[in-house]
Amino acid sequence: GLILLFYLVFYGFLAALFTFTMWVMLQTLSSDIPKYRDRISSPGLMISPKPDTALEFYFNRSDTQSYAEYVSTLRKFLESYDDAKQSQNINCTPGRIFDQNDVAVKKACRFNLSELGQCSGKEDKTFGYSKGTPCVLVKMNRIIGLKPEGEPHIQCASKEEGMVEINYFPPGGLIDLMYFPYYGKSLHAHYLQPLVAVQLAIHSNSTKEEIAIECKILGSPNLKNEDERDKFLGRIAFKVQMTE
Amino acid sequence: MEALTKKKKKTVPTSANSFFLLQKSEVYSVEIYGTKELEKTEAGGGDEKYKDIKGKKKKKAEELKKELDLEDHKLSASELEGKYGTNINKGLSSARAAELLARDGLNSLTPPKATPEIVKFLKQMVGGFSILLWVGAVFSWISSGIQIAQGADSPFDNLYLGVVLALVVILTGIFAYYQEAKSTNIMASFSKMVPQQALVIRDGEKKELPAEQLVVGDIVEIKGGDRIPADIRLIAAQGCKVDNSSLTGESEPQPRSCEFTHDNPLETRNIAFYSTTCVEGTATGVVINTGDRTVIGRIASLASGVGNEKTPIAIEIEHFVYLVAGVAVSIGVLFFIISVSMRYKILDSIIFLIGIIVANVPEGLLATVTVSLSLTAKRMAKKNCLVKNLEAVETLGSTSIICSDKTGTLTQNRMTVAHLWFDNQIYSADTSEDQTTQPFDQSSPTWTALSKIVALCNRAEFRPGQEGIPIMKRVVVGDASETALLKFSEVLLGDVMSIRAQNKKVAEIPFNSTNKFQLSIHETDDANDKCYLLVMKGAPERILERCSTIMINGKEEPLDSEKAEAFQTAYMELGGMGERVLGFCHLYLPENEFPDTYSFDTDAMNFPTSNLCFVGLLSMIDPPRSTVPDAVSKCRSAGIKVIMVTGDHPITAKAIARSVGIISATSETVEDIAKRLNIPVERVNRREATAAVVNGMELKDMSLQELDEILCNHSEIVFARTSPQQKLIIVEGCQRQGAVVAVTGDGVNDSPALKKADIGIAMGIAGSDAAKNAADMVLLDDNFASIVTGVEEGRLIFDNLKKTIAYTLTKNIAELCPFLIYIIASIPLPIGTITILFIDLGTDIIPSVALAYEKAESDIMNRRPRNKQKDRLVNQQLAVYSYLQIGIMQSVGAFVTYFTVYAEQGFLPLTLLGVRVDWENSAINDFEDSYGQQWTKYQRTYLQWTGYTAFFVSITIQQVADLIIRKTRRNSIFQQGLFRNKVIWVGIFSQIGIALILTYGLGHVTALNFTPLRFQYWFVAVPFAVLIWVYDEVRKLLIRRYPGSWWDKNMYY
Repeated sequence: GLILLFYLVFYGFLAALFTFTMWVMLQTLSSDIPKYRDRISSPGLMISPKPDTALEFYFNRSDTQSYAEYVSTLRKFLESYDDAKQSQNINCTPGRIFDQNDVAVKKACRFNLSELGQCSGKEDKTFGYSKGTPCVLVKMNRIIGLKPEGEPHIQCASKEEGMVEINYFPPGGLIDLMYFPYYGKSLHAHYLQPLVAVQLAIHSNSTKEEIAIECKILGSPNLKNEDERDKFLGRIAFKVQMTE
Repeated sequence: MEALTKKKKKTVPTSANSFFLLQKSEVYSVEIYGTKELEKTEAGGGDEKYKDIKGKKKKKAEELKKELDLEDHKLSASELEGKYGTNINKGLSSARAAELLARDGLNSLTPPKATPEIVKFLKQMVGGFSILLWVGAVFSWISSGIQIAQGADSPFDNLYLGVVLALVVILTGIFAYYQEAKSTNIMASFSKMVPQQALVIRDGEKKELPAEQLVVGDIVEIKGGDRIPADIRLIAAQGCKVDNSSLTGESEPQPRSCEFTHDNPLETRNIAFYSTTCVEGTATGVVINTGDRTVIGRIASLASGVGNEKTPIAIEIEHFVYLVAGVAVSIGVLFFIISVSMRYKILDSIIFLIGIIVANVPEGLLATVTVSLSLTAKRMAKKNCLVKNLEAVETLGSTSIICSDKTGTLTQNRMTVAHLWFDNQIYSADTSEDQTTQPFDQSSPTWTALSKIVALCNRAEFRPGQEGIPIMKRVVVGDASETALLKFSEVLLGDVMSIRAQNKKVAEIPFNSTNKFQLSIHETDDANDKCYLLVMKGAPERILERCSTIMINGKEEPLDSEKAEAFQTAYMELGGMGERVLGFCHLYLPENEFPDTYSFDTDAMNFPTSNLCFVGLLSMIDPPRSTVPDAVSKCRSAGIKVIMVTGDHPITAKAIARSVGIISATSETVEDIAKRLNIPVERVNRREATAAVVNGMELKDMSLQELDEILCNHSEIVFARTSPQQKLIIVEGCQRQGAVVAVTGDGVNDSPALKKADIGIAMGIAGSDAAKNAADMVLLDDNFASIVTGVEEGRLIFDNLKKTIAYTLTKNIAELCPFLIYIIASIPLPIGTITILFIDLGTDIIPSVALAYEKAESDIMNRRPRNKQKDRLVNQQLAVYSYLQIGIMQSVGAFVTYFTVYAEQGFLPLTLLGVRVDWENSAINDFEDSYGQQWTKYQRTYLQWTGYTAFFVSITIQQVADLIIRKTRRNSIFQQGLFRNKVIWVGIFSQIGIALILTYGLGHVTALNFTPLRFQYWFVAVPFAVLIWVYDEVRKLLIRRYPGSWWDKNMYY
């Protein structure tokens, strides 16, 4: 009995001590930006839709069911980019870093879905999957305070030539500097990260073949894309296989 | 007289005098018979206790203890010829010899079936925790195989982990094997003793043959310097003497002839034994036994037949390994089940299991224990205890009974004059090792006369060229009593050699056993006095017979019955003290009858040898070493029973036992009580006697129950007249009482007892190689007091090993908790398996060894030896306190650091809960943190490694506190002194140094999973470290304040 009581008190005390020290530690943190950001100095790239398994797209252009999930994921992902939802967002000056350090309430820049052209889902509800020109959205990871230099743009290439033709929306795969820097979830609530749509026009002779595609961010000296260990730092590789 | 020469390891020379103590001449018991009696009782006895004969092994040992049925010494030469089909002059024929060789095998000792080295090595590989780690390694390889098959992206992590685990097992296995290999094989020295060549008569010709080729019936010739090639029955001998010391412990060369002198084959003069040495003379004999059938062969196989008992510390370590392995396996299996039922994949569950095993097993501990033990062994070697078997270091500490030899161990192993009797008074002499003067009154003219006789009637001489050496250490040519007398007179009179030169010897009759006196006639140094001085010494009663006067205060007085009575009383008293007494007398030969031209003829005895003047008595004893009484009383206060086992006479043994305190001043034997109350021995209540002196003859006739009774009921026991083989019986008796027994010994025939003992202690100076081989420890100075030092060291290391283990176990919880919480709360893994190995085999090693240098907390020699059943190395309190209290505190401290690192990088504590699956999914490269930032898989992994490093650093920091609190178990650190043990600080600095190197030096080597760490994270756990220390101080304070309380019982380990 005494033993149980002792451990009750002992562990109670330890739990209290743990809670207290954690509380003290949390008090030292800001709710706006993390104390250190040195572990993510350069952003990674990611695509949408993201297949469940690995980054591999398998679909049959004539079978709606086979790509329904990709389409719905894309649709869902783009919901937050709806014009209606962007009413608070402002139009920023393209090509310039949008510095809001002095402003208390950080504004978000508008990203027009129309910039995604054929991949915006407005004209083609299947994002090209039914036509054999599937769209993949490439986005750059959000990092607080990141200011890309130069003219960052996404460029993709298939491993083997002549299997696929790649179109970018906005043209040239450009990522506009006006979307940077990001101020974090709490300060920058309506922030939308810029997207680049990559449309893969698969040649008819390349159907049924697995096409390996790698996208990289180029044109910006402070965005790494060659890291040996991190295969997603400034680049992403995925595979597409379309049947008819 | 006869018996005296047969005493075990006796320093007394044969030229001594018969004295009344030896009325009982039939005292040398025949050891090998002794056991036979025991066997009978064993077979017939109804007591269950003695029936626990364990299988065949024990039976074999019993068989070997069997009587030595040798009849050959009783046979005549012709009967021998008939029995062995040989011819004394021509020997065997070569053909017959070859036949016999084929039948009996080579004349050599068969080495015991040695375990093949590879088997020993493999045993190390699977012993202890190794099997668990192997399981871990195999699981790692299996899961890595599955991962490769599934094409996962980092399948090699587990492969490496498996390799690392296997390496850990192999390296610790090699280390342990190396340690074990150091302990030498007992048979090695027996085989060394085998003689190379033998001179054999075969086909009527003398031949040099390898001794191995000898067969029963061969006629061999031996000469001085040879080793006896087999057991032989002598048929001719000329002045042959053999050194049987390696067999019986007798240090005097034994004469050998062809006469049958004794029923006992070991006693009779006409048998020489295999492996003993012929010192001088020549002899011819018939080979009667070869190889393993020789007496020494039997003893050798008895020694190897006596099982090596597991040392107490080995039992403790085994117990500890089972405990930890039990915890590891049960937690592992429990969480395996939990994780499977939580719908983790089997593969993941297996990986968790590996983590739990690795976290739970203190990989470095067994190596640390070995190192600690060998450090103590080194320390003991400096104090003259050479430890052969590392584990024996601790055994000495748990020893509860020491069976000690007398001669050389308790005593100085040299005769010294202890008492004098002249002028009707007994004087005591100083018997210490480094005497330079003698305290007794030397003014009497009687002393002047006595001292002159002592100096002159003596044939011993100092070896020349020893002027600078203290008298007591000089080498003397002469027998033991003469040496004692020479040194005695050199101390008192100065240069004895010049005194002898001034008193030129003109005639001398050396001692012989018929006369039992020694006589010499000298010119006197007084130039005016031309008369000769006749001096004589010998057995007191024989000397007295030849005297008609006695010198009292320098005047010759007639020897009347009253004075003879006084002599008798003094003689009895000195003899009763176990001392060897010599009488001294002299006579100034009248100048007119013996002018200086007189020629003395010692054969015709043309001078008076009666009506002499009795001057005094001197008694000698092999005195106890001056350090021994203190050591014995230390043993007594340490709860260790000291039993003297000696081949010496009971009276001498008892006298020495009394003077060193083995029998304390107040206690009495049954005989003492009988004498005091003046009643027969049978009527004495045996329970009243605390002391007992047991004669070897009595022991021979005793049943095991009776022996047990003696061992149980008497706290002070002396076994006298025991043969070394009886030691084995005594040791077994002590072990039946549940005691941990230490035994000292030196002869070949001590080796079974030495092996049987929990710790066998061989004498470094006097010990035979076989004894040294059978022993676990060798006393380099043959001094009993060194054993006590060893006991102290042994107890200290036991305490310190407790501390080491407590220290090591603590952090296992801090290593285990991360896995458990990782499984249950699905947070990113706080510490990796490799990192754990770096703590167990890196930072923690030197500190845990450093605890071996810790000084004792209190006087460890004032408590009883530990109870094998109750005082475990790892008890419940130790495990609970380390695991559930300090370990948990450490875990909390480490988790605080872990959460701090994650929070400061953007993952607040609550967002970490339940993220494991996504966190570890390598397809998710936009994992969002609490601030909206997105992380790639590698970025997360790198952060996870930072977490590992932080967790590692926190454990290290808190282990520093753990190390400091483990310095003591009861006392405050301030009582113990924070800086007294410098090695602890070496440990602390090494710990932090290794952590710094791993973190900043190897922080970029990905495979090791360390990353450079912000400096402030080193201090997050510091408050917890301080808390651990404060808490432990409080614990110790309460233990000291309230001994016996609930707290004391539950918190003192």
